[in-house]
Amino acid sequence: MYSYTDFDRQFVHARAAQFRDQLQRHLAGQLGEEEFRPLRLQNGWYVQRHAPMLRIAVPYGELSSKQLRQLAVIARTHDRGYGHFTTRQNLQFNWIPLPQAADVMDLLADVDMHGIQTSGNCVRNITSDALAGIAPDEEVDPRPYCEILRQWSTLHPEFAFLPRKFKIAVIGAHEDRAAIGWHDIGLRAHKNDAGEIGFKVLVGGGMGRTPVIGTVVSEFVPWQQILVFVEAILRVYNRYGRRDNMYKARIKILVKAEGERFIQSVQREFASILERDAGGAEHLIPQAELDRVARHFVLPAGVHAAADDDSAWRGDTPLAFQRWLERNVHAHRLPGYRAVTLSLKRAGQAPGDATADQMDAAAELADRFSVGELRVTHDQNLLLPWVRTRDLRLLWEAARKASFATPNIGFLTDMIACPGGDFCGLANARSIPIAAAINERFDDLDTLYDIGDIDLHISGCINSCGHHHSGHIGILGVDKDGAEWYQVTVAGSDGSRLSGASVPGKVIGPSFAADEVPDVIEALIDTYRAQRTSDERFIDTARRIGVPPFRAAADAVRRSTARAEAAA
Amino acid sequence: MRFIDPAQDPWRTPSDDGARPQSHLLLSHEQWSSRRAEFSGARPLGLIVPNTLDVELLHDDLPRFALIALQFPKWTDGRAYSQARLLRARLRFQGEVRATGEVLVDMLPLLHRSGVDTVLMRADQSLDSAQRALRFFAGHYQGDVHEARPAFGRSAA
Repeated sequence: MYSYTDFDRQFVHARAAQFRDQLQRHLAGQLGEEEFRPLRLQNGWYVQRHAPMLRIAVPYGELSSKQLRQLAVIARTHDRGYGHFTTRQNLQFNWIPLPQAADVMDLLADVDMHGIQTSGNCVRNITSDALAGIAPDEEVDPRPYCEILRQWSTLHPEFAFLPRKFKIAVIGAHEDRAAIGWHDIGLRAHKNDAGEIGFKVLVGGGMGRTPVIGTVVSEFVPWQQILVFVEAILRVYNRYGRRDNMYKARIKILVKAEGERFIQSVQREFASILERDAGGAEHLIPQAELDRVARHFVLPAGVHAAADDDSAWRGDTPLAFQRWLERNVHAHRLPGYRAVTLSLKRAGQAPGDATADQMDAAAELADRFSVGELRVTHDQNLLLPWVRTRDLRLLWEAARKASFATPNIGFLTDMIACPGGDFCGLANARSIPIAAAINERFDDLDTLYDIGDIDLHISGCINSCGHHHSGHIGILGVDKDGAEWYQVTVAGSDGSRLSGASVPGKVIGPSFAADEVPDVIEALIDTYRAQRTSDERFIDTARRIGVPPFRAAADAVRRSTARAEAAA
Repeated sequence: MRFIDPAQDPWRTPSDDGARPQSHLLLSHEQWSSRRAEFSGARPLGLIVPNTLDVELLHDDLPRFALIALQFPKWTDGRAYSQARLLRARLRFQGEVRATGEVLVDMLPLLHRSGVDTVLMRADQSLDSAQRALRFFAGHYQGDVHEARPAFGRSAA
């Protein structure tokens, strides 16, 4: 993984010092809340229901055991002992008092971490495939490009106050494990017929009130030009994106309104930078820079291709272990290795949450089994990228002890959920009790196996942090007359091969009461099980039969909402 | 970065006093567009540019101006950063680029790097804090109007 240079290290410490100065001016009353707000946001500090939330960047999801241990220290000494991993591969704390903020930034800088641009109307932390660099279906390792883009977008002077937030995702595999179609910019690195590397560029995807899938703006931007191309997109957006209405300020609205003219503007701006600007060609990436950065992403020391070796556990494979092998262990490009998901989806804990002790335990597993490296996945789990096949049995036992071995990856209980109304100041409804109730209802592993692969996504409000639009089943918290209600959608897709082309799910009818939601989910699942053909997954059946059968089944289990309607 | 003291600032708009001053005339874009013939001659002219204007349209006029005053109606409206950058890097404007409006201490590093060289800060802002704000970073990753090379271009040199 990338390791900081002296320049990088000085930079994050300078940023921490700058933030300390801003915080002190704020606490001294010289910088009012309104004016401090955008500054703290761009350092990851977001005031929530109970306290400020700190969102820490995990660049493209890569995390070292040392960093994770430091996060555990922060959880213990400054928070209430736990953190929450997000769909954007970040980590959030919820209980750190603001006066301690500058000290926490220093602790992060000590392990080459920060909260720069994890919030605010700027280019956010860049996300990627959790299997980047290790996936067998990978055409191009996206991580060097992610890092170059990360550096370029960090404290860019022109793009710190865009109309709205701006999210970039980069992949280099055939499978899309980062939902690039749902991002402001989605990049897929691939090779052309001549074997040269370039990016397919999608612009203007996004969730929120107006779910939109990104438009292809270019099929192939040579990698050398990608910073300039992204600069052109951002400049067009900064100048022409709407600023009169926050709900219409994302680039997706500009792309939709302008269509082909947007694409032409980007192309014109791109050409102008290179042909007319003083120093315009300076951001063409030289081969030497790509090589310098790519050297950080070669095989880690101690990792060598080897023959797959299951001799240590062959013939001793209890069912629970077999299931774990099947669900939590993933193919690897390097012979002799597997990637292993540490499930953060288990009974009694919110999806994506980890306690300080669990963070330490995961760091320990990473040191023992994965040369000290971890990944944060888009679906809110941790992943060990460098596990020897011969160690799988040992790892399974250790992961079980540490509560990471629930063999549910890709199943209904491996759901995505935002922190919701329990923590978030924006939420209309709680997500965590809904997730817990569904978890309780579907606690039988055989049932989960029978249901098979399914994406259940839960958002506590229309801001869509829980990606409800892209769930095969989506649950959205809405507020009606001060009460919590839940709108349910089916057949959304994140763009993965299993899910099909990216598309928002369809609403199956009026919202449900919180206590109806587990019954509704069960009704949807029962409908699928009754209607599926032999090897159909939920999403296939949902697409084939459409909304009506699901709607009928869900309506049949309405209790409180049926009563309310009858009374109305 | 030069901090403008309004009391010492020579620039006047035509409406500032009844008689049109003989020097340092700061025009709105509308005044310039509709009455440009009136402003011929050698006296220094400045132009107030709304943040919605495509500054590339000023290309032919720029040699007439000693000052371009960019506007931040709200400090979180970042359009003028792009205008500053285009004025310097694309249009090669050598005169003064001034930030006006809601200009706050913490914008200064961004303004400086985008090509603004004078600021008229909101009256309540602290000059000490502003000068400190300009000193936190020894270098940056991406290039800017002063150092066009990004970090990777500088280290290779």
